[in-house]
Amino acid sequence: MSEHEEGRTAPIAARVHLAHAVVQKLADDRSIDVLHLKGPAVLPGLRAEGRQSSDVDVLVRPSHLERLVEALESIGFEQRTDFSTGSVFAHAANWWHDDWGWVDVHTHWPGVSIDAEQAFDVLARTSAPRQIAHWDCPVPDRTAQRLILVLHSARSGGTTDLDHAWLGADPEEQAEVRALAKELDAEVALAAGIGELELHRGAPTYLLWRYFAEGGSRLDEWRARLAAAPTVRAKAELLTAAMRVNQDHLRMELGRPPTREDLRERQKVRVRKALSELSSRVRRS
Amino acid sequence: MRYRIADDVAWVSQEDLDGGDVPTAYLTRVPRGMPILLEGSGCVVWLALADGGTLEEVTESAAAMTGANVEEIRDDVADLVDQLVVIGVVREE
Repeated sequence: MSEHEEGRTAPIAARVHLAHAVVQKLADDRSIDVLHLKGPAVLPGLRAEGRQSSDVDVLVRPSHLERLVEALESIGFEQRTDFSTGSVFAHAANWWHDDWGWVDVHTHWPGVSIDAEQAFDVLARTSAPRQIAHWDCPVPDRTAQRLILVLHSARSGGTTDLDHAWLGADPEEQAEVRALAKELDAEVALAAGIGELELHRGAPTYLLWRYFAEGGSRLDEWRARLAAAPTVRAKAELLTAAMRVNQDHLRMELGRPPTREDLRERQKVRVRKALSELSSRVRRS
Repeated sequence: MRYRIADDVAWVSQEDLDGGDVPTAYLTRVPRGMPILLEGSGCVVWLALADGGTLEEVTESAAAMTGANVEEIRDDVADLVDQLVVIGVVREE
């Protein structure tokens, strides 16, 4: 038996399982509502056998976020990205722990458009405990997990998750997923995941999901994000963010906090890249 | 005296991880414990403890899992169970 040193070299899969239990214990002790997603939280048959996850994903009730952050940081988790820089959807932030690795905390799931607190209620309504590392962790039911995996696949340009989560579902199960997507106002994202996006050409988020499905330049991405931003204020915030270097990602890339000089250099690269994309478009047109 | 895995312990074995052939378990006391690795016979004893029982029952269960003679492993099992009690991952009742 050996403590600590060996533990720190534990296989990622073992760390991920134990980390789910650690997060759930923190949640249990503080009456924090969380749902465990992906990885070992996925119900049997919904992902390829033997597939391992490299981090922990949890969805927290948005109004409980502050308490969860406090709990994570009380045992040594360090925040590495914040919600505004974590992703296009500003839906998640990452915490790192030397023993337990990465925990991604989500306040909503990309593609779900209804209010995040309400969405949590819908997903939690039919959740059930699943043992991860012999610890009861609440997970969404099979229908919700199918939808979550398909939406994740849509955002990732298509993944093998689709084979099990959607193509492996019978027509009745697919109908249940569609009904849930309707309730969560996630129909456009679901359509993107299952190859029906063209049925939603008029939707504000159409371009965004097409970008995820087909890829494109940074300009395409920002155009899509602007189109999807629901308010003028949201559009203004996006434009500001577009001009700013993502310090969290730069820190991870450099392996240290970026200096002012690093930020200046990266800003120049971003501007050059944007100009180059623009000029190549001008040449094409 | 009966022994069982403590309530605040989360653990995972190679069976949950589609791991290799060597019996391996990782455990921790949540939420503040450090990761602990049990390999080989240590893992076998841990798995024997999963159902709880007296030292005799745990020893018999470990022997059944490995095909070992109960008499040959009795002392080693007792030592390991003692150590697991000391670090708080196994409870005596």
